Amino acid sequence: MKANTFRYVGLITLALALAGCASGPGGGSIYVPAGGASSRDEAPEPPQTSDRDEEPRVERKSEQPEEPARQQEYSSPSYQDEGDALSPAARSLIQRADSLMAAGDTQAAVAQLERAQRIAPRSAQVYFKLSEAYVAMDQLGSAEQFTLKGLSLAGSDSSLQRAGWLLLADIRRARGNVAGADQAEARAGAL
Amino acid sequence: MTCLTDGWIGYNPAMKKSASPRKSPKKSNRKGKNARKPWFWPLFFRVFFIGVVLLAGWMVYLDAVVTSRFEGRRFEVPSRVYARPLELYDGASVSSGALQRELELSGYRAGDGSRAGTYRRNGGHFNISTRGFLFTDGLEPRRRLSLTIYGDRVQDFRVLSGDTSPIVRLEPAQIGGIYPAHKEDRVLVQLDEVPELFTDTLLAVEDRNFHDHFGIAPLSIARAMLANIQAGRIVQGGSTLTQQLVKNFFLTREQTLLRKGNEALMSLLLELHYEKEDILETYLNEVYLGQAGTRAIHGFGLASQFYFGESIRDIGAHQVALLVGMVKGPSYYNPRRHPERALSRRNLVIDVMAETGLMSEEDAARARAQPLGVTDRASYSENRYPAYIDLVRRHLARDYKQEDLQSEGLRIFTTLDPAIQYAAEFSVKDMLSRMEGSSDTPLESALVVTSRDSGEVLALVGGRDPQYAGFNRALDARRPIGSLIKPFIYLTALQQPDRYNLITPVEDKGFSLVFDDGRRWEPKNYDGEERGLVPLHEALSKSYNFPAVRVGLDVGIDEVKSTLEGFGVTSGISEYPSMLLGSVAMTPVTVAQIYQGLATSGFNTPLRTIRQVTDAEGEALSRYSLKVDQVADPAAVHLVQYVMQETMQEGTGRSVYRTVPRELTLAGKTGTTDDGRDSWFAGFSGDLLAVSWVGRDDNGPTSLTGATGALPVWSRFMSQVPQHGFSPVVPDGVEYHWVNPAEGALTDEHCNNARLVPFITGSEPDREISCGGNLERRVRGWFEGLFQ
Repeated sequence: MKANTFRYVGLITLALALAGCASGPGGGSIYVPAGGASSRDEAPEPPQTSDRDEEPRVERKSEQPEEPARQQEYSSPSYQDEGDALSPAARSLIQRADSLMAAGDTQAAVAQLERAQRIAPRSAQVYFKLSEAYVAMDQLGSAEQFTLKGLSLAGSDSSLQRAGWLLLADIRRARGNVAGADQAEARAGAL
Repeated sequence: MTCLTDGWIGYNPAMKKSASPRKSPKKSNRKGKNARKPWFWPLFFRVFFIGVVLLAGWMVYLDAVVTSRFEGRRFEVPSRVYARPLELYDGASVSSGALQRELELSGYRAGDGSRAGTYRRNGGHFNISTRGFLFTDGLEPRRRLSLTIYGDRVQDFRVLSGDTSPIVRLEPAQIGGIYPAHKEDRVLVQLDEVPELFTDTLLAVEDRNFHDHFGIAPLSIARAMLANIQAGRIVQGGSTLTQQLVKNFFLTREQTLLRKGNEALMSLLLELHYEKEDILETYLNEVYLGQAGTRAIHGFGLASQFYFGESIRDIGAHQVALLVGMVKGPSYYNPRRHPERALSRRNLVIDVMAETGLMSEEDAARARAQPLGVTDRASYSENRYPAYIDLVRRHLARDYKQEDLQSEGLRIFTTLDPAIQYAAEFSVKDMLSRMEGSSDTPLESALVVTSRDSGEVLALVGGRDPQYAGFNRALDARRPIGSLIKPFIYLTALQQPDRYNLITPVEDKGFSLVFDDGRRWEPKNYDGEERGLVPLHEALSKSYNFPAVRVGLDVGIDEVKSTLEGFGVTSGISEYPSMLLGSVAMTPVTVAQIYQGLATSGFNTPLRTIRQVTDAEGEALSRYSLKVDQVADPAAVHLVQYVMQETMQEGTGRSVYRTVPRELTLAGKTGTTDDGRDSWFAGFSGDLLAVSWVGRDDNGPTSLTGATGALPVWSRFMSQVPQHGFSPVVPDGVEYHWVNPAEGALTDEHCNNARLVPFITGSEPDREISCGGNLERRVRGWFEGLFQ
C-alpha cells in the first residue's frame, strides 16, 4: 500500500536538499545572548573578549537600557517569510534518522528526529521527516499533524510548500479523505 | 595489621565437616554421670527430645526466612531521574557558566580534560572528556571534545578522539530518585561486571577462605572471642562474608549471643542452599557504604558512583582499595569527612593486595602515591528540584505503580534543563525579595518554563524556596487568570474574518448586564477610564476590559469556552459572563498548556516532563513522543501573536524592555485579578514559553498588577537565558498591509499613524486614504521608492 499511495515521500528529501541551497538573507531567527547583542542564526559569531559572567546578571537601575534611538528599529512586531534553515548538526541527525529508517528501525529514527526537532524547532523539514517516519509506522493521524506543522513553517519557500502539500495529499488519501487529498494536491499544483 | 578486619584470619579447612550445629546440644551429655538417680535418664531424654524438636522447628523457621528472602533476592532499587542530556554542536545555545555547572552536575571533575569524566576550562574554551552513555537510541561512546563558547554559543566544536560527530550528547545528570520508604539506595551490579581485582581484594581483606568454608569459620570465631575476652569488650568479629551478609540481610545490629547463634545457623543454611557466587553477588549489592542525608548508600555499584562518580567497572586499583577498606566502617572511614583515616585505611588494603600477590610491589607503590580520587560532591544527590520531580511523579503515576517506581530501578529521562531551572529559581527568589516591601504576609510565586515548540517542561518553580518540597503552586494553586483569557476571546473573534480583523473598532465604554434573577454585573476598566471606539489590536495590547467583554458576548461565551477547551482546558470553565474577564481559575501549568497553542500558531503540544522510561538495563519501557495537534486556524493565531508582540512593545508588557535587550522580540499577556490578588504573566520568545504568577497563599490583596508582579519575575528570567527572539513565519492566507487603524483604511507606508498589520486575506479594508497633505513625507517616500 505504502509504495503506491505514498508517491511523494521522496520529494521531501529533494526539498531538504533544495532548502539547503535556497536559504537566503532574512531567514533565521535572531539569537540574543543573555547579555544582549543579537546575531542572525547563520552569521558567524564575532569573538567576545570578555568571559561572560557566570552568575545571573543583576542590573542596577542606572544600568537599565534606555535607548530611544534604537527603539525605532524594533518597534513593530516581528515576522518572517520562511522558517529557519537547518543547521549542520540537525542535518546530521536527520541523516542518521534516514539510515535508521532504511534499516527498519523507525522507533530509533523518531528518537533522532525528535533530537533534531529540539535543536531546529522552526524548520519545516524536521516536521516533514517526522511525518514520513509516522507514515512508516502507519500512524497516519500523527503524520498528518506533523505535515500541517511543517507547512505552517514553510512560508514562502515554494519547494517546501510543494513537498508538504503533496505529502499531505498522500496521507489524506490513505486515510480515506479524498476531498482533503484533492484539495492538498490542488494547493501543490498551484505553486 | 593482624586484626585488619572481621574474618580474614586463617582457618583450617580440615575442620570443615566436623561441626554441625545439631550436635551441639549433645555436648552437654557427659560421661561419668551414669550413677545418677533413676529419674534422670527419662527426664534427660525428654528434655533432649524437646530440645531437638524445638531446634528443628527453629531451623525450619530460619530456613524459611533465609530461602524466602534470598530466593526473591529482589533488592528494592529506587528509580533514577535524569535531566535532559546537553547537546553540544556548533551553534548550541549555552553560556560558559551554564556549561561548567552542567558538567559539575553530571559529576565531571576539573582536570586535564583527557581522562574520562574530567574537563578543562580556559576562559570560554573547554576540553571535555566524556564517559559515554548508553541511550536507548544508541550509544554515545567516550569522546574527547574541544569547543569554545562565544556569545553564549558553542563554536569550533571538534571531536579530538573517539567517533567523530557534529553533535554529541553529554551524559545526563542525575537530578533525583524515587526512593523506597526505608531510603536504601543502590545500583545493582552483577558479579561478572565487577573487576576481578575488586572481588579478589574484597575476599583477601574480608574473608580469605570464602571459597572453602561453609558459612562460618569457627577458628576465626575462637580467635575473635579470645581477643574480645582479652580486651574486655567486642573488638573483633570472626564473621565470614556470609555472616556479614546474613547480619545485614536478616538481623538487627544488636550484639547478643542469641543473635550470634541465629547468624551462624542462618549462614550455614544460606551456604547449604546457594552457590558461593550468588552469595558474593548479593553481598556486593547489600553492603552498607555510606549516607547521603536520609539516603543510605548500599552496594559497591552505587558507592563507586557516589564517591568517584564512576562505574565500578572503570575504577583504578587505589579506588578499589578505598571501597574495600570502607566496609569496616563507612562513616569512620568516610573519605570526604575523614580523608586521613580513609587514606591510611586504603593504604593498608593496598599492602594486603601486594602481600597476597594481587598486585606487584611497584603497582602498589604507585597506588599508594595516588590521591583518594573522590569527587568533591556526591553526584547522586538528593532531589534538588522537588517541585519539578513532583510533576514528573504525577506524569509517571499515569502509567506506573508507586511500588514499581520505588523498587524496580527504573531510569526516568526527563526534560529538565538545569541551566533554565537555575535561572528560573534565581529570578523568583530575587524579584520576590525586591517586591515584598512593607507587606506582612509574604508574597509567593510560581514559574513554569516550557520549550515553545516541543512542549517539554524545562523548569518549574513551585514557590520562593525551591528546596521546599511542600505546596507546589505551579501545579496546585488554582487561581483566576484575569486578562490572560483575552487572547482567546479575540482569537475566537478573529476566526471570523468577515466580522473581525485587527483594526475593527471595538467599544471601550461601560455597561451593565442585568440577569434574570435581577442581579447586575458592571465590569470596570482597570484605570476606570473609558475611551470610546478603539481598534481591536489596541484593546488587546492595552488590555481594556469593556471591549473584551463586548466582543466575547458578541461571539458567544460558549464559543470562547470551546476555544479554551480546544487549547487544553479540561474542566472548570464557567459560562457566566465574568469568565470573559478571567474569573475562570487555572494552575500555572494549565496556563502554560493553553498558551502553548498560541505560541505555536495553533498547534496544541501536550506538556511533557518525561521523554522516556527504561528498565534498569536500559531497555525502553515507555516513550513519550512529541505530539502536535492543530486546534486553531494558524492565520487567526498569527494575528493574535502580532498583538501579543505589540503588548510587549507598546502595551501592558512594555516594561519588559527595561530588563531584556530590545532585540529579543517577545510576545505575551498580563493578567491581574481584583485587588491584585493574582498577578500573572504568560508569554514566549522563539525558544521558550514561560508563565509566572505572584500572589499570596491566603489569597489576600496585594498592590501588584500583572505588569508589576509577575512580569518583573518573567522579565528577569528571560534576561538570564540566551535564546532566539520570537519571529513567526507568516502562515498561508495572511497578508501584511499598511493601514491607518483609527480610520480603518489602507494607507501609505510613509503616512502618519501608518501601521503594518497582518490580515487574513480578504479581510483587509477596501478603503484607501492618502496622508492628506503631508507632502514632505510623501515626497520622501517617493524618493525612497525610486532608489530602492
